[in-house]
Amino acid sequence: MADQTFRLPDLGEGLTEAQLVAWRVEEGARIDVNAPLADVETAKAVVVIPSPYAGVVQKLHAKPGQTVAVGAPLITIAAEGAAAVVEPRKADADEPAPSTLVGYGPGGPQAGARRRPRVSAAASAEPAEVRAAPFVRQLAKEKGVDLASVTGTGPGGRITKSDVEAATSTPAAEPAAPQVDGERRISVVGIRKAIARQMVRSVSTIPQFTEFAIFDATNLMAARDRQKAGGAALTPLPYFIQAMVKAVHAYPLMNSAWDESRDEIVVKQAVNVGIAVNTAQGLLVPVLRAADRLDLPAIAEKSAHLIGGARAGTLGPGEMTGGTITVTNVGASGPVETGTPIINPPECCVVGFGAIKPRPMVVNGQVVARPGAWISISVDHRIVDGALATEFLTALVKELESIGA
Amino acid sequence: MEPVTMAKAINLSLREALTRDENVLVFGEDVGALGGVFRITDGLQKAFGEDRVFDTPLAESAIIGIAVGLALRGFKPVPEIQFDGFIYSAFDQIVSMVAKYRNRSGISMPITIRVPFGGHIGAVEHHSESPEAYFTHTAGLKVVAPATPGDAYALLQSAIADPDPVIFFEPKARYYLKEEIDPVRQVPLGKARVAREGSGVTVIAYGPTVSIALEAATAAEKENMSLEVIDLRSLSPLDMPTVLESLRKTHRAVIVHEAPVFGGFGGEIAARIADDGFDLLAAPVTRVGGMDAPYPPARYEKLYLPDVDRILEEADVALAYG
Amino acid sequence: MAEVVRTVETEDPVRPLFSPTGELTPEARSRIGLDPEGLRDLYRKMVLIRRVDQEALNLQRQGELGLWGQYLGQEAIHVGTVAALESEDWIFPSYREFGMAMCRGIDPAEILKFFRGLSHGPYDSRKHHFAPLTIVVAAQIPHAVGFAMGSRLKHSRDVTLTTFGDGATSKGDWHEAMNVAGVFKAPVIFLCQNNHWAISVPLAKQTAGSIAERAQGYGFPGIRIDGNDVLGVFAAVRAAAERARRGDGPYLIEAMTYRMGAHTTSDDPTRYRLQAELESWSAKDPIGRYREWLQGRGILDEATRAAVEREAESTAEGMRTRLRSITPGPAGEAIFGRVYGNPPDSFVEEREEFESSLEGS
Repeated sequence: MADQTFRLPDLGEGLTEAQLVAWRVEEGARIDVNAPLADVETAKAVVVIPSPYAGVVQKLHAKPGQTVAVGAPLITIAAEGAAAVVEPRKADADEPAPSTLVGYGPGGPQAGARRRPRVSAAASAEPAEVRAAPFVRQLAKEKGVDLASVTGTGPGGRITKSDVEAATSTPAAEPAAPQVDGERRISVVGIRKAIARQMVRSVSTIPQFTEFAIFDATNLMAARDRQKAGGAALTPLPYFIQAMVKAVHAYPLMNSAWDESRDEIVVKQAVNVGIAVNTAQGLLVPVLRAADRLDLPAIAEKSAHLIGGARAGTLGPGEMTGGTITVTNVGASGPVETGTPIINPPECCVVGFGAIKPRPMVVNGQVVARPGAWISISVDHRIVDGALATEFLTALVKELESIGA
Repeated sequence: MEPVTMAKAINLSLREALTRDENVLVFGEDVGALGGVFRITDGLQKAFGEDRVFDTPLAESAIIGIAVGLALRGFKPVPEIQFDGFIYSAFDQIVSMVAKYRNRSGISMPITIRVPFGGHIGAVEHHSESPEAYFTHTAGLKVVAPATPGDAYALLQSAIADPDPVIFFEPKARYYLKEEIDPVRQVPLGKARVAREGSGVTVIAYGPTVSIALEAATAAEKENMSLEVIDLRSLSPLDMPTVLESLRKTHRAVIVHEAPVFGGFGGEIAARIADDGFDLLAAPVTRVGGMDAPYPPARYEKLYLPDVDRILEEADVALAYG
Repeated sequence: MAEVVRTVETEDPVRPLFSPTGELTPEARSRIGLDPEGLRDLYRKMVLIRRVDQEALNLQRQGELGLWGQYLGQEAIHVGTVAALESEDWIFPSYREFGMAMCRGIDPAEILKFFRGLSHGPYDSRKHHFAPLTIVVAAQIPHAVGFAMGSRLKHSRDVTLTTFGDGATSKGDWHEAMNVAGVFKAPVIFLCQNNHWAISVPLAKQTAGSIAERAQGYGFPGIRIDGNDVLGVFAAVRAAAERARRGDGPYLIEAMTYRMGAHTTSDDPTRYRLQAELESWSAKDPIGRYREWLQGRGILDEATRAAVEREAESTAEGMRTRLRSITPGPAGEAIFGRVYGNPPDSFVEEREEFESSLEGS
């Protein structure tokens, strides 16, 4: 004979407790297996609990009306005879409920039981701001290069494979170029290399021509002054972009690409404007997506974010690709009036804006000083002929001159 | 041997299976006298009789349900679901019964469910879907998608011979792709192939996107970019060793499938690359696929489906990481 | 005019055995084809399976089973059906056919592993010709049809029986399977245990029409019978099985009964049905009725009756003892062991990782 404590089981798939409605036995009573012990009410139903043991009732652990947690002791019975069918369990009511048997609620095993020992992180010598792909870090480790001492030339200052290779004492297997007095050789890697490749691709595969015009920026400046008075200081760039998008809308061929594999012109639906930005690493072209669906404030906000991000190196690859037409603000700094921009392949058109400054203009037969600027467009002659380019440029001038009108 | 279309290769493979094993049964909607809406089962009923190649009532759940019963009775059923978009009617039978029956009973379910899948055919709604991820997500099933006639022939042989249930996705847009096939060549389930060698970026594709990936690789070559194309052939089991081997060379991966990217099978591949190949990566793993929208009307499907430009864009991104 | 109406013109050997209200006729009862020993055995089995049903309920209340679904009141169908079939004939059950499984010789303690959370399929289906319990309502019905089609293709004489509740007849799989069976003349018996309740939804809200008569639409006969009469069930299943064995195709039997207990131990029938309904069905209890019939014919004496009670007690006790002595198998095998015949490498690796994570814990 051994004392057996019967704990309240989970009576209905995930229950956590039950209220004791009434006892059907008293302490000291002799009972058989399956004798009704108590009525309990769960969240689902009122049920009768039958005894799992034959023997004498030693202790009732709860009073009617009391709530008993699943797994808490319900009744202790001095079990007899049938002990062989009963798993030996100690009568200690404070012992935690077994969790492996069914019927003891939804609680799982204790945390920590299966967790493997933590792998000690190899002390990282690199400061957190080092930006390098996993493979590059691996390469640096293999070559014994301290990434903290390497200047990254990839997007956002990322350290590239070439940077690591350049930093090793024994660079690439190629024979070193002969040293000539009075010359200094700069290895071309990272963004410089990417720019070089893209520009060579442009001039070697795209027959391009450039047209120029001057526009009257009186209305643009007036609109800008109004914005400024309203507290929002815009650069001319958002106005340029908006006017360009409107002109593209009238001449969708300007927003296209030449598909060399099929000799087809692919006209793009969305106008994704690449913005040429000068950065410490070189020229980057972040992309203002779906500019045709943005209003002026949104263009201003997003283009500012892109330009800032390009300079800070915080843009993701999604913000650096997918352009359909590019704008370059050649007059943003310095006395440059205009230039001949090179197309960003596989796009069809690049538009350059010069600095806005007072210029002599003929108005009503009189020469007067008015703000104005040069525009230059370079286009892919395979797609667009001179006449159409002129129409587009005319439309662009018209859009710019009618700002705010 | 003359070059044959993928449609013919599958037909020949079914013929071979029916000849070799009398327990193989082919059934489904319109597979008998008509030979199937894509004529894949053309002539099989005539050759093997109505007991072994038979039309069923128009009832996808029952088609798969009776396959379970026939498998229990010792047969090797090869049911056809007429179009990808109709497989959902049989979803419960596939996911709760076919996939789990062995786990429940210890009895094998050597069932091969053939399903034409994917777009590019200008069809009406429900005829262009790519439901593979629902099934790769279900333990107990194997999922296969050949890209070439020869692989379709050989993989179907392996699928029918396998003791486990296999969902055999046939890229319907490639049914008329032709190639010489070698009936002796074996392709086990779970073995990918390098469809084109390259060094710059690994493009991982299966079924209908393999040929698009190959086109992209050809286009890339003109831009001095080198793409390696991996044809997975089998999604479950998944051949990660072949993928990782390629990444050891390229350090960059672009995954291409027609199914929507969100929650798609590409996510599993990308996650496994991150898990097992973290140190190999030079750039984020990207995916090119259908959009997170229902398959569009046919007029717009080319915009929705992966194309050469979208693959090249992602390859550009991967290479931009230097 | 074209053929507008197709009527079922097929031989129906079941209907002549029953009155229009589904009672076995006195003549058919007298020619049931069982000797006194066979008749007593039906009684014995009904008592045994009722007793273990009660024991399983107790075991659930004692925390030994996660769930239990009683079949109290449906014993005549369980026992009569299995007795009417040959041992080679496969049965495709739903999830309440514990009594049928026992009649097929499956150890009740083994089946309870299912409800003790140890296995999704604890018995050998091929040995007992008893398919796995199927939780998804109606999903097993097309399996039975496919199996029966396979028997026909193999020129075997075995027939297949599938059983389900009234709720299952609302499901598409039931319709699809019945339809396919009709088209292929599959040797299959559809046995609906109409126990009037699908959890809490009564028959009247499950269907507005007849279940049995729907068979006509699929091109084979159907009949509604008294499912609390073990001899009626026996006669109907046997006649339908013989018909199928002859190659005349499927048959639908709608056996009317009543679920006297809750749907499962997680259910509370007092929320949705009246005590009066339960009492009216208590009067039609299959065991009480049959005992009176046997006693009236002098086939069952008091000593035999007492011996059956004792056997029932010891069966229940033995089941309890064996159940509690079952030790759970290794977790790796339980989780991964039967998923694939030819497992993928990644699956094998995951199992190995899991098993090594358990070592030392």
